[in-house]
Parts: sequence; structure tokens; C-alpha cells
Amino acid sequence: MKFSSFVLSVAVAGCAFGVALTPHAAAMISDDDFNALKSMVTNDNQRVSQLEKLHEQDQQTHQQDQQTIQHLEQQLGETQTLATNAEQKAEAAASKIQPANPIMNALHNFTMVGDAEVQFGQAKGQHGTFSLADFAPIFLFRANDNILFEAGFDVTLQNNTDPTTGNPNGGSSTVVSMSFGQLDYLLNDYVTIVAGYMVLPLGTYSERAAGWLNKIPDDPLPVDFLPGAGVGAQLRGAVPVGMSGQMLTYSAYGVNGPSSVDGTANAGSLDLGGNVGDSPNLNGNPSGGGRVGWFYPWKAHYDLELGVSGQTGTWAENKLWSALVVDAAIHISPYVEVKGEYINTWEQTDNAGNIQPAGWWLQASYKLAGLNLDAPIVNDLELVERYDTANDAMGSTTDRFTTGFVYYLTNTLLLEGDYEWFKNRGLNANELPSSQFVVQLSYGF
Amino acid sequence: MLKNRRFILAGALALAGICLGAVLAHAEPEKKTDLKPEPKKLTGAELYAMNCNRCHPERYATEFTTAQWQTIMLHMRVRANLPAAQAKQILKFLKEDAGN
Repeated sequence: MKFSSFVLSVAVAGCAFGVALTPHAAAMISDDDFNALKSMVTNDNQRVSQLEKLHEQDQQTHQQDQQTIQHLEQQLGETQTLATNAEQKAEAAASKIQPANPIMNALHNFTMVGDAEVQFGQAKGQHGTFSLADFAPIFLFRANDNILFEAGFDVTLQNNTDPTTGNPNGGSSTVVSMSFGQLDYLLNDYVTIVAGYMVLPLGTYSERAAGWLNKIPDDPLPVDFLPGAGVGAQLRGAVPVGMSGQMLTYSAYGVNGPSSVDGTANAGSLDLGGNVGDSPNLNGNPSGGGRVGWFYPWKAHYDLELGVSGQTGTWAENKLWSALVVDAAIHISPYVEVKGEYINTWEQTDNAGNIQPAGWWLQASYKLAGLNLDAPIVNDLELVERYDTANDAMGSTTDRFTTGFVYYLTNTLLLEGDYEWFKNRGLNANELPSSQFVVQLSYGF
Repeated sequence: MLKNRRFILAGALALAGICLGAVLAHAEPEKKTDLKPEPKKLTGAELYAMNCNRCHPERYATEFTTAQWQTIMLHMRVRANLPAAQAKQILKFLKEDAGN
């Protein structure tokens, strides 16, 4: 037992001794290999030393480049500052320069715009007829950025008629009438002074009623109760509200006002288009009026406009004539438009007391491009409907429903057509047709 | 053994709690912003779309020269009662693509 333990111990010791010696024996290498290794290490050290030197040189070069870049950036900043100062000085100098020859500038800044319409129409019970409905040029003379003279004319053809019987008596005449002629002076950003024969801001229809702007060839019925223009002076302007495009607009004016066709203050003698100053002012007192409006867009093509306007003054023998108009327009997308006006007038007369010619109109239109049908003709078509009514307070009331279309041949060449149904009550029941259709080609330039 | 484990676990939890408390004590309070984003200024193109299509079909910038647009915009500023800044912005937009 003791011997076995001893043998076992010796065997274990021997194994352990062998294991300890084995790595030492494996680590012994030849002299050649050692020298080769030594040589390799020496070479590597030399290479590292060279790389370190190169790196040091690169760092120095990089530092120099950085300094150069900083210097160039500084110069660039100075140059930009100089350029900005020079630009500001140039703008300031340009704003102080007066035109050398104002007359030449006025002729240079002349532009003509306007529109023309050709119609074919037929009322029920009558024969159809073509007519040159209107050639309406607008001449614009801009003296400078603050002064504009503008004048608009209506040139129409009419059959010659016997002044006594009203029957045609051969030939035709060219009738030229001035629709407006006014001088505009932009006093500042908020006030424009207007003087002359002005389009009056009673509602918005008169100011926005050029032929090619109307989607229905004829005017709403109650607009006839208002003067479209008047001779006088006006202040107008707009105040922006915030930065979303919202604005408040105003206009205040004084004009000669309406007068009488025969000098009397009888109902039916009201002259809305006369009293332009080339004959004695029959009433002796000017009329005054104005409009305030609010325009609110919540984004492009989505907007609401509301306005209230009015005018008051004497028209004959110290009798008063007044008007009140409430106008509204809404756009919902580029395709839908709804607009209208309510018009009420008050007229003091000798023979009929106080009368109130009044009426309203409402128009809605829809561009079929909104259907996204991607069809060429359909995309250029717009459907229009209008209802208007007018009570002249002298025994006649007319209601009219109109359905029509606008086909946009181009953005300014429009083919319009409509069919109108009339309901006439009272004294003029037999004077107006019960229906009619009108086709119009309208060109804006 | 079990007692030791419990002791170690309790110590770790206590340490974690102390650290968390220290972090929360030094965390900055969330800043309240009552500031509304600044309203964006409308571009000439946006003002043109808002105002110049209300009454008539849009006129393309190339239809008139720069000088003509200056004259026409003066007329439109008066007729449509446009604010001065908007009219100038629209004119600038039209001039960029004006015809020759």
C-alpha cells in the first residue's frame, strides 16, 4: 500500500515536471530566425519614425490651410457687407431721383386694356338679332408710381330711330359714352384720392362689372336703381389685418348726386345718370356716400367678402334720395362662387310720397373642372344660375331666373349663353318678354 | 445564506433609489412654450391667387410687359382696393415672369 502510493506520487511528479519543461523546449529558436526578426523590427521602427515625421508635416500644412481659410472668410464677410451697403445706397439714391422728363414718362407709361362683346339674342315672340353689344376700352396713363389717370368708354351701335315715334328710320349710329374718367393719386399706403367721373362703390357690381367679368351677359335687375358713376371726389384705401391676407376696405365720396329729368320731384323723374356739371346743378346740394368692406381669406380660393355701402343727398327741390346696399361674396375652392346684393333705395317725391324701389340678386356658379373628369371641354365649362328681383315702387315687380354657362376658350375669350324666365307683375306685365335667350362672345384684353 | 442574499438585494435597491433621486433632483423642469409659431408672410404668388382670381379669370404674367404691369397694377390697386404692401408684392411676382 505504501509502495503503491510512492509509485503513484513519483509518476505524478514526473508528469508535472514534463509539462513544465515542454513550453521552454518549444520556445527555443535558431539564431538565424532571431536575427531575421530583429532586422524586421528595426525596419519597422524606421518606417514608423518616417511616418511620424510625415504626419507632423501634414499637421503643419493643415494648420496653415486653416489660417488661410479663416482669412478668406473674413474677407468674404467684409466684401458682403460692402456689397449690401452699396445696394442700399443705390436704392436710396434711385428713390430720390426725379424723372428727368415727366411728360415723356407719362407717354411711355400708357396702356390700354378693356373688353368687347358680340351678342345674339332672341326674346320670346320676337325675331333674333345679332348686336355689337359693346366695345369698352380703358385707357391708363401712369405718370409715376403714385399717379394714374384712367378713363373707360363704351362704344355701341344703335339703329337710328325716329325720336317721336321710336320707329327705326334707317341706318345706324355709333354711340360713345364715357363710363368713367378719374385721376387717382396714392397719397400714402392707406389713402388714395380719386377725383373725376368715378365708378361709385355702391355694392361691388358696378366696380367689377366689365363685360368679360360678368358670367351672365345682362345686369341684375335691381342694379338699375343705383347710379353707376358720379362726378366728385373720393378717398379710398385698404388696411391689412394680420398677415393672412385679411383686410378692411373703405371708401368715402362726395358727388353731384342724382337729379331730375324734367326739373320736377315726381316719381319717375329721377335722373341717376345726369347732373354731371355741364348744366346748373338742379338740387344745389351734393350727395355723399361710402362703403366699408371686410375681406377674409382662410386660404387661396377660399374667402368671404362682406360690404355695406350707401349714398344720400337731394335730387330735386330738396327732396332726398338715399340708397343702402349690402353685398356678399364667397369662394369655396377655385370652382364654387356665390355672390349677391340687397339693394334698397328711398325716394322722396311730390306726387307719390316716399317710395322705396328695392330688390336683390343672388348668383351661384360652379366650374366643372372641380369634378376632376379630365375631359377637355368639360374642364373649361362653368355653370351659372342667378335669381334677381326688382320692385320699382311704382307698380311693377319683375322676378327673373337665369340659367347659363360660360365656356372659356382662353382665359380672356369667353363664350356665354343663358336662358331667362321672367315673371312680370303690375304695370309692366306686358312690356317685358316672358323668356329670352342670349349668347355672347366676350373678349378681355 | 438567505439572510445574506436579502441583505445584498436590499442594499442594491437602496443604492438604485438614491441614484434615481439624485437624477430627478437635478433634472431641469420642462419649459412651457406659450409662443405661437410666427405667422408665415404670404408670397406674391399666394396673394395673386387670393386676390386676382376673385373677379376675373387670372391674367398670366407673360401677357404684359414689366412697364404695363406697373400701370395695370396701379389701376387694380385702386379698383380692387388692395393694401399697398400686397399690391407691391403681387407686382413683384408678376414682373418676375413678365413678357418682353
